[in-house]
Amino acid sequence: MRRGSIVQLIVIGVLAGAVASAVALIPNWLPSSASREAGRIDFVFWFVTGICIFVFSIVAAVSVYSVWKFRVKPDDDSDGPPIHGHTGLEIAWTAVPALLVTAIAIVSAIVLAKDDAAGANPLRVNVYAQQFFWSFSYPGYGDKKSDVLRLPVNRSVVLEGHSKDVIHSFWVPEFRQKQDLVPGLTPTLHITPNKVGTYPLICTELCGLGHALMRSRVVVMEPAAFDKWASRKGA
Amino acid sequence: MTTLTHEHEAHPGRQGPAPPPRGWRRLLYPGLLRAAWMAPLFFGIGCGIVVLCRWWGGWQPIWFGEIIVLVGALIAGPIGFLAGIGAFDYWVRYAIGSPTKPEDHSGHGAYSWRDYFRVNTDHKVIGIQYLTTTIFFFLAGGLLAMLVRAELAKPGMQFFDNQTYNGLFSVHASLMIFLFVIPAFAGLANFVVPLMLGAPDMAFPRLNALSYWLLPIAGIMMLSSFLVPGGAFAAGWTGYAPLSIHQPLGTIFFNMGVQWAGASSIMTALNFLVTIITMRAPGMTFWRMPLLVWANFTTSLLVVIATPFIAGSQFFVMFDRVMHTHFFDVAGGGYPLGYQHIFWFYSHPAVYIMMLPGFGIASEVISAMSRKPIFGYRLMALSLMAILVLGFSVWAHHMFVSGMAPWLRVPMMITTLMIAVPTGIKVFSWLATIWEGKLNFATPMLWAVGFVSMFVIGGLSGIYLGAVPIDIHVSDTYFVVAHIHYVLFGGSLFTIFAGIYYWFPKMTGRQYNEKLGKLHFWLTFVGFNLTFFPMHLIGTQGMPRRVSDYAPQFANWNLFISIASFALGASTIVFLYNMVTSMRRGAPAEANPWRSLTLEWQVSSPPPIFNFDEIPQVVGNPYEYGVPGARHAVLNGDRAATETEVRSR
Ligand code: HEM
Ligand SMILES: [Cu+2]
Ligand SMILES: [Cu+2]
Repeated sequence: MRRGSIVQLIVIGVLAGAVASAVALIPNWLPSSASREAGRIDFVFWFVTGICIFVFSIVAAVSVYSVWKFRVKPDDDSDGPPIHGHTGLEIAWTAVPALLVTAIAIVSAIVLAKDDAAGANPLRVNVYAQQFFWSFSYPGYGDKKSDVLRLPVNRSVVLEGHSKDVIHSFWVPEFRQKQDLVPGLTPTLHITPNKVGTYPLICTELCGLGHALMRSRVVVMEPAAFDKWASRKGA
Repeated sequence: MTTLTHEHEAHPGRQGPAPPPRGWRRLLYPGLLRAAWMAPLFFGIGCGIVVLCRWWGGWQPIWFGEIIVLVGALIAGPIGFLAGIGAFDYWVRYAIGSPTKPEDHSGHGAYSWRDYFRVNTDHKVIGIQYLTTTIFFFLAGGLLAMLVRAELAKPGMQFFDNQTYNGLFSVHASLMIFLFVIPAFAGLANFVVPLMLGAPDMAFPRLNALSYWLLPIAGIMMLSSFLVPGGAFAAGWTGYAPLSIHQPLGTIFFNMGVQWAGASSIMTALNFLVTIITMRAPGMTFWRMPLLVWANFTTSLLVVIATPFIAGSQFFVMFDRVMHTHFFDVAGGGYPLGYQHIFWFYSHPAVYIMMLPGFGIASEVISAMSRKPIFGYRLMALSLMAILVLGFSVWAHHMFVSGMAPWLRVPMMITTLMIAVPTGIKVFSWLATIWEGKLNFATPMLWAVGFVSMFVIGGLSGIYLGAVPIDIHVSDTYFVVAHIHYVLFGGSLFTIFAGIYYWFPKMTGRQYNEKLGKLHFWLTFVGFNLTFFPMHLIGTQGMPRRVSDYAPQFANWNLFISIASFALGASTIVFLYNMVTSMRRGAPAEANPWRSLTLEWQVSSPPPIFNFDEIPQVVGNPYEYGVPGARHAVLNGDRAATETEVRSR
């Protein structure tokens, strides 16, 4: 390869990388983050995004360059050089992706393990899903019932999921955490909210007619306010 | 070679079917007419059996609509249709001891358009039957998608109620998967694989005919579920239990439609396996097979091993419903996640069933139109095998948030991410094949290169989904919808179009219109990206999938996507217009317009009725572009194999 073409390739690659980075950075890809888990999950998201932009730039550089430089007129009957392969290259593009996905797997496994571990003295909440609404109960507070999920800020929460009919799924985009609620099972989900506010709670598993409207809210409160609310009788 | 071809054509009546008898005997002659009375007859027999059994067992009510529909309309009626059209005639005659002619070729070849509407045993005719049928269901599924997008153009409910909306996207996806992508690939391969192998036909032509005729049954079943009380099946193409157990009647149309389509897939796959293993021309070693053949070999293995699992999953759901078993019903001790495990044990491999044949097509097109050998041929074949094996060890990546045993997540994540490696090998090898080639950007090449670029994006979003923490956030959101469309639309559909344009001259003997082909590509390419790329964004931002209504913050993007999707849908009109006009008035095609080396291009366009007048002798690799004097095969009339060619065998 000539010097000039290497430069051209690199320029295209950098341009493609710049476009991809702009796509990654300009829109708001993720909703605001309101839990400790969300911070860690976002880290994985941007880690993977970095790797993807790198791979995308290489692929884009090679393909754009080829399409630009190697196209011929339809009446050109000549053949290309009979290159059958190149062992070094083939090893490289087996090994490098293998390393990259291993890195992603390791980072993901670590984050998953951290997200799965409940903190000290967690608040337990039962989540009940049924066609097509949500309800919650707080066993630590005399089984207090509620239609919106109220949580204290900065305290580890263990949600125990229950479904009364079909499969539903508990999702709060600001927490980045999701868990299907399956009849007959009681899966748990760990969340440590770290920002006071009100966030949407969405059912993400098709559960029938009213699935699209099966939404509720999560209210993250100051601990004192939460205690006051939770100790009050009635909903 | 050409002289012999013309000899066949000079005596069109010679091999064709005997003319149908006149008068009432015509009703006994295999064909649509006989099917028109045998299907209702069998329906009646089915109803009779149900009523008799219920009367004998004393079950009330004796006339029970749901069971009547199931046994009469979804099982017995279709069997009657198949019997009527003549799919079983040969076997029945054999079974009752009537004289049969194993070498009977009366069902072979097409001499008029009518021959496409009967049980034909010619793999080329069957290939075209498959393709036209699947394009029909592609249009039907596409129209349903347009309705889905119309509803989603604004938040709130516009045109449909929720149940209808759920039915729309469920039938859309089911048709696209079971009646378009999977069988369209089977159709292309049906036409091409025997030719590529140097074989006169598939190993089991009558089985081949039967597998085709199961398809319209499955498709009509799924579509007609819109007509039954309660509407179409509405639990998604994934049909998760227990929701799917307690849905209106339409659900059993899905349960049974999948059985018919699945039976068709399995029969075809067995046929491909036997054909590829036993009917290769002399000299065609495994390492000399074109990659399309390799791709269909691995796909067929996937189909044969995996498809019984989805058949089982749908039967169990149906049994829970009609027989009151409790496979997935908690109240009776069932286990709902069992459904998902069985379903995805098929449906993950199924995504490769929907992609590997496309890999094969891309390899053929890219090599021939870059005028270069495929880069790393053996590694390309081996990575197909690696995907086949790994593909069975990743199913639970669809279940990261399902509540399954938590320990399963990390192992499944590792195997999932590992699949990126053989997939990457394929992408890099295509790019290396293009590198320094002499690229001819005729329509098939546009689709093939478009496929590689779109598939890269789909593959990268797959990495996000494979990483468990990210998947927990984006599972069941529009991010997934974007992903499946980048791989199935940008992947499968683009390669199907590449294949249709590439082999169009071979199939029809005419050339398609190049300008319209390019226009079709560019409209689709742009429309596709405008429609589906923004779905990644609204997905990560919080829009769940399978909803008819959504939060107002997503309104602008959804309107944009809907408008783009209508443009995308409209691009199909260009394709249809091109196909229909070119088929009738296109310029006659040469035998080998792409100067390709593989065997199907070494015979006339369209090929003679038994493909090769003399069995070809394969003497080299299929992609030796640029190697002076290299040949893949020696056909009659060519100079005989040279010393070196014989020795290199
Ligand atoms: C004009 C072209 C198309 C448009 C506008 C379109 C649109 C859509 C939309 C909006 C959904 C989501 C429905 C929802 O979850 O609420 C969807 C789902 C889906 N589509 Fe398409 N689609 C198109 C073509 C295709 C093709 C060609 C295939 C297959 C090769 C396909 C396969 C699927 C699958 C598998 C799903 C998932 C369905 C589910 O989750 O139940 N689509 N499509
Ligand atoms: Cu729900
Ligand atoms: Cu999968």
